[in-house]
Amino acid sequence: MGLLSILRKLKSTPDQEVRILLLGLDNGGKTTLLKQLASEDISHITPTQGFNIKSVQSQGFKLNVWDIGGQRKIRPYWRNYFENTDVLIYVIDSADRKRFEETGQELAELLDEEKLSGVPVLIFANKQDLLTAAPASEIAEGLNLHTIRDRMWQIQSCSALTGEGIQEGMNWVCKSVNSKKK
Amino acid sequence: MFGSIWQYVYTSFLRYWLKWLIRQATGKCELQRICSEHEPGASRTTRAENSLQASKNKVLREALKSSKDHVEQCVDQIMKEKNIKPQKDPLFKGRLHVCLLQITGYSSLYTSVEDLRKEVFSSENPEHEAMLLKLWDLLMPTVKLESRITKQWGDIGFQGDDPKTDFRGMGLLGLINLVFFSENYTAEARQVLSHANHPKLGYSYAIVGINLTEMAYSLLKSGALKPHFYNTVQGTPELKHFHQLYCYLAYEFDQFWVAEEPESIMQFNQYREKFHDQVKAHLQDPDVSLALSVGSD
Repeated sequence: MGLLSILRKLKSTPDQEVRILLLGLDNGGKTTLLKQLASEDISHITPTQGFNIKSVQSQGFKLNVWDIGGQRKIRPYWRNYFENTDVLIYVIDSADRKRFEETGQELAELLDEEKLSGVPVLIFANKQDLLTAAPASEIAEGLNLHTIRDRMWQIQSCSALTGEGIQEGMNWVCKSVNSKKK
Repeated sequence: MFGSIWQYVYTSFLRYWLKWLIRQATGKCELQRICSEHEPGASRTTRAENSLQASKNKVLREALKSSKDHVEQCVDQIMKEKNIKPQKDPLFKGRLHVCLLQITGYSSLYTSVEDLRKEVFSSENPEHEAMLLKLWDLLMPTVKLESRITKQWGDIGFQGDDPKTDFRGMGLLGLINLVFFSENYTAEARQVLSHANHPKLGYSYAIVGINLTEMAYSLLKSGALKPHFYNTVQGTPELKHFHQLYCYLAYEFDQFWVAEEPESIMQFNQYREKFHDQVKAHLQDPDVSLALSVGSD
């Protein structure tokens, strides 16, 4: 009896689990983002073969984040991870202008997926630390994000390398989960 | 609780009395006993390393941090400090010398590996570019690369049409390892590549290779590779020994993957961990030697 049991009572409601899917082209920065979220070292990252998963506590949620490799060869496997997704995070390399079209096509296909219908989508315009990075507004326009009507969406500029903008994005993720619950 | 008290008492007092007693009885100090009673390799060098580390004498502890060129001097100093007469124990000097070359060499090997890892692959650097093209020629001798930026890179397991973004956290180290394997064990590397290109059991040869470079690097950094290098290199380990260890991992991982028949490439990390655990288990064995048993130098 004592402080410990009081604390336990306070924590009687277990954290709500949220399934987050992290997708995007290869070299977009998904794994770096995942490691930043888990406060892990980001200096030894290698290309993702298959997937990585990490659980992060945030604002009373237990975020189970699935980081799926982005190389073309394994994109057909993405669909195996769609089920029960609460929020989709789509990561774009804002400096890789040559592949804006490709990344836009992949995103459009994801938004057409039945299993992802109505799932809120956060787009991270990553690599803003690079001088050549396109601003989030330009990317939003290029992707025609304003035409999305069937779900909540947000675009957030960030740098997974420095951590800038990630917290803002994750706040939106938690907010969108909360409002979906109501 | 009792264990930690005992540990404290032992390391702070008992160990020294015990060593003093044995020294009086045998006329030999701990280092001499280690060098004469244990076979060369990890069993001797690891003990010598622990003994030097735990020493109260600064000269002995500092010897662990010395560089290759000063090792001989360190051995002389230690013999003077410990009052060891070469006439009475003629083999000691040479043996301790090898131990120290191995111990200090491990740290300097890590420094060299870390330097290569930190070097970012750059398309502006002609040497880097030449290395990349060499990798293609070694693995695909009958197919010509159509251009520098091409989907063909996918045939040797890079992700996109320009491999430069795949080296990432492993930098040049990842590329050098890939080239070393293809150059020194060409037949094996091509065999591994053919397994990797299997339509059902396949994986991405190059990026799995970069991933295995990360495995080799972390094992080196944590000190887990010490017994392996102490057993296989009787002197200062060099970069080529690290590349050879990579070859072992690349070849053995492929054998492991083919034998396990994973459902798909999506299971990669799970099997990678299983393989990693196996390697770490091997490294617990004092007689460990992770050498590729095939091919030639």
